[in-house]
Order: sequence, then structure tokens, then C-alpha cells
Amino acid sequence: MTAVGSPADSACRKNVQRTGILRQAWINRSDYLYVLPSIGVMLVVIAYPIYYTIELSFFNTPPSLQLRDKIFVGLDNYGLILQSNVFWRVTLNTIIWTVASTFFAFFLGLGAALALHREFFGRGVLRAILIIPWVISAVAASYIWKWIYHSDFGVIGAVLVGLGLADRPPNFIDNVNTVLPSLIVVNVWREFPFAMIMLMAGLQTVPDQLLRAATVDGAGPWQRFWHVTFPHLKGVSTVTILLLAVANFNSFIIPWIMTGGGPSNASHIWITHIYELAFGRQRWGVASAYSVLLFLIVMTFGYFYVRALSGSERKARG
Amino acid sequence: MMNSPSNPTPKARRPIDRWRWTGRLFLVLMLLYTAVPMIWMLLTSIKSGFAALQFPPQWWPDEPTLASYQKLLDPTNSVGRDFLRFFWNSLFVSTVTTILAVIVAVPAAYAFSRFDFPGRKFLFFAVLLRNMFPAVIFLVPLFILMRLLGLVNTHGSLILTYLTFGLPLAIWLLKGFYDNIPIQLEQAARIDGATRFQAFILVVMPLSVPGIIATAIYSFIGAWNEYIFAYTFINRNDQLTLPVGIQRFFSENTTDFPGLMAASFMMSLPVVVLFLLLQRYFVKALTEGAVKH
Repeated sequence: MTAVGSPADSACRKNVQRTGILRQAWINRSDYLYVLPSIGVMLVVIAYPIYYTIELSFFNTPPSLQLRDKIFVGLDNYGLILQSNVFWRVTLNTIIWTVASTFFAFFLGLGAALALHREFFGRGVLRAILIIPWVISAVAASYIWKWIYHSDFGVIGAVLVGLGLADRPPNFIDNVNTVLPSLIVVNVWREFPFAMIMLMAGLQTVPDQLLRAATVDGAGPWQRFWHVTFPHLKGVSTVTILLLAVANFNSFIIPWIMTGGGPSNASHIWITHIYELAFGRQRWGVASAYSVLLFLIVMTFGYFYVRALSGSERKARG
Repeated sequence: MMNSPSNPTPKARRPIDRWRWTGRLFLVLMLLYTAVPMIWMLLTSIKSGFAALQFPPQWWPDEPTLASYQKLLDPTNSVGRDFLRFFWNSLFVSTVTTILAVIVAVPAAYAFSRFDFPGRKFLFFAVLLRNMFPAVIFLVPLFILMRLLGLVNTHGSLILTYLTFGLPLAIWLLKGFYDNIPIQLEQAARIDGATRFQAFILVVMPLSVPGIIATAIYSFIGAWNEYIFAYTFINRNDQLTLPVGIQRFFSENTTDFPGLMAASFMMSLPVVVLFLLLQRYFVKALTEGAVKH
């Protein structure tokens, strides 16, 4: 059984299919060696914690994390969460944060990708500068923007006062109404370059002949974009939006460092709230129950994510 | 340039020009959005502590000074000693993570791209699905696990978690690369008598160097910038990495904005330089998986 490459390979494997999956697995046993290290590491660091989180969510736990003393409380932790006002506030914040960040990061990235598509002087340098925020650590970004938003010495406040648009520097992040939008600006600053990179590569797959043909047929720039370019970007846009949405839903650093969730929970999102419950107030059981709820939401996302990715997988192998 | 030069009537050109100018205006605005915060970081970092706290601000520092940088890089004072220690810790953790990630991800990605063993699809999506889960879900149990393994307050805890959490995307990036290497090359090597493993090492590996570079940058930047695990697992000052170290230092002393900006700059510099030098590999690999037909 010396399978060589794909055509011969798939031929013998089709034969094998009839002989049952265990036999097939045995014949290909050396293949598993290649994935074993990855799967092994992930089982320890991922599967075990997931199991453990689910278990803890049914218990009342002592703050010390001396887990022998935990008490079974059934679904109490879940009930506690769904009845609290903070939960709904934080959920609303998370939705606003995720949707707005994803929307603006994607469309600013799309605009930049389209504007950078054609060759012009300085294009490479410009592209490099636009990518930098994506590479900078979120911790550094949080401090930079915290300083820019500073209520006494911040540069934005100073510009607004200088232009006569405000009497005194506005307080961006200590204000319940402006804190979330202000943080979204920072998040989009870090994320739009990712959308830009993905979409720039996507644009390269749009055949030039098609665009030229459309021009000859009298299509304007907008029509060319909508009928030729956009259909070619559908696949990459789906993946980009999903990856952005997941990253935003899971983000932690920017709100945590810039505001710690305040003022009065106005910038708490799920992840920061769970973190505070667990490591701040040491309510491990409640935090675990939160995590399980989060897990269920993420799994719903995950269904679409896998479908989108398996679409591109089918195409690649097809 | 795009429309045919044989048709230069003003009527046909006007809308194109309008779109082109819209594009340029947009790029200028994006450049301001991107660059102004970074420029302000640099300008603040060369002010004295007193000059930074003025209103209206000094748009350009009256007396530029490198004092903040000197303080951070001077091993004889306590700030400099800590900063250099954090820097070294970050470098160590990121480098080890990167090397291990490549060693583990390369064979896995190759297997997912080439072989057809039962469960291949399932395992691949299990790997990708991991990417969806926020770190916070894993924090409490991982903290307990690390305590069990005696890894709390060690770099081992960070390397192990960064490795795991970086793997899914690393495998995905590399798999896209292997998918694009023609299988005929390996078949030729097999016909010449190479074993499958030899074909992989001698033929496929050299061709996938750009993908490996991309994976390495991705792992390095991810580990360098990671915050939440380091924040949770490490409590000893001499073991901290930069993102947490900087936070511990400056949150207590929030008026030293030049110092904070200088530290932010120093923390960003290595990854930005690395990325700009190697970005074409990275951009290529990142888009390979999602964009190819």
C-alpha cells in the first residue's frame, strides 16, 4: 500500500472506503502523526478547560478557589445572571460594540482597498502606514488613545477648543454617553487595516478584462463596482466580516485598559464583565455560567463561520 | 489610465475624475486617522513631563528631549532595569513560542492539505473553531491547570497557552500555502524513490518557506502583544512581559505621559519593523486561505 499523491491516492482510498472506517484509519495511521502534536496540545489546553467551565457553572465556589469546598447549586448561577440589570446593559453594549466596530472596520477597509488598488506614486508607503495600527499592541494603542482623549491635556479637546467648537475640552471617556463610541473609534483604528489587507488581495482576483469590457459597454465606475468587482469580493468579504465580528465579540484589552468597563458599566462588554466577576470579585461559579452562555452564542456564530470557511475549502479542493 | 486613451472626450472623463478625487480625499482622511495618534505619541515622548501637561498643548515640543528614552534604556536606574527585563522576557517568550509554533503547525497543515485520513475534516474544523472562543472562557480553568502543573509565574505557562491559541490560524495560513504547491512535484520525487517523509522535507518544505515566514511573524506578533494571559498568570515583577509590565508601571503613575508614550513606542517598534520588512509574505499567506479560487 504505497499510495502516491492525490489521483492514485484517492483511487486506492475509494477501495478502502468499503472496508470500513476503522480499517481505513489503521491504513492511514501514519497520517495522524502529523496532526498529533497540534491536537494533543489543544486537548490539554482547550478541551479540559471547556469541561471544567461547564462543571463550575453549577456550583457556588469559595473566593479562595479552594475548589473542594464548592457547593452544588443547580441552575442558580444562570438565574442570577438573567435577572440582573447589569447583564442586559452589558449585552446591549456588546451588541453595539460588535456591530459598530465590524461595520466601520469593514467599510473603511473596503474604501482604503479600493482607493489603493490603482498604482500611484507613494502607494506602497501609504499602504504600509495604514497597516501599522494593526501591528501595534492593543495595550500601546489603548494608552496612546487614552492620552489623546485626556480630559485636561488631550489633543482632540485642545483642537476642538482651538477651533472654537467647545468652551473647554470635552470628557470623552468619563462620560456615560460618549465612552462607548470613543472606544469603538480606537478599536476601528486597530482593525480596519485587517479588512484592507484581505480586500486588497480579493481585488487582485477581479479580472481586468471584465472591467475593461464593462467600460467598453458603457458602465460607469459605480456600475463596474457593483456588477463586476463586488461579486468577486463576496467570498473574501464574508470571511473578513466573520473574523472581525468574532474578534470584536471577544475583545478585552481596549475597554479593560482604557476604562475598566466604567463609568457605571457604560463600557463593559461581556468579556470584561466576566473577567471582573471572576478575577475581580472572585465569583468563579457565576463567571463560569456567564462563560457557558457566551459559549452557546459563539457556537451559533461558529456554525456560520464553519459554513463560510468550508465553502472556500470546497472551492480550494474542488 | 484605465479608460481607453482613444476616447478622451471630457464627458467620459469627468465622472472618473470625480471618483478618483473622492478616493484621494478618502485616503488623506484615513492617513490622518491612522497617523495622527502615532505622531502624537512620538511628539509626546520627546517632551519633558512638565511640557506634556500644558493647555493648550505645545504642538511641537519647545525643548525636545530624549530623557524618557534614556530613562527606559538605562540599566542602572530602577525604571530602566525593569523595562529592559520586561523587554527581554517578551523577546524570550515570543521567540520560543514562534519556534515551537512552526515545528508543530507545519506537519499538521501539511497533513490537512494533502492526506485524506478519516476525521480530517472534523479535526480541521475543530482546529478552526477554537479560533472563535474568547480567552476569558479558558482563563479560570487554565489558571487552575497551570497551578496544578506548577507553571504559574513562569514563562512556560505563557508559551504553552500562546502556542495553543496561535495554532489554529497558523495551521490555516500554512494549509493555504500547501494547497497551492502542485502535488506533482511530490509525485515526481516519489517516483525517483523518495519516501513520503523525504518528499515532504526535501521538496515541499523549501517551497513553503514564505508560508513559514508568515506563520512565524504571526506567532511572534501574537505572543509579543498578548496581554490577558500574561496579566492573569504572572504576578512576579521579574517574569512580566512588556504589555503587562508597562501597565503595572504606569497605571500607578499616570502623569508621566512622556514616559508612557516612549514605552509604548519602544514596545511597538520591534513588531512594526519586523512586520514592515516581511509584510509581503504575511499578506500573501493571510489572503491565500480566504481569497484563492
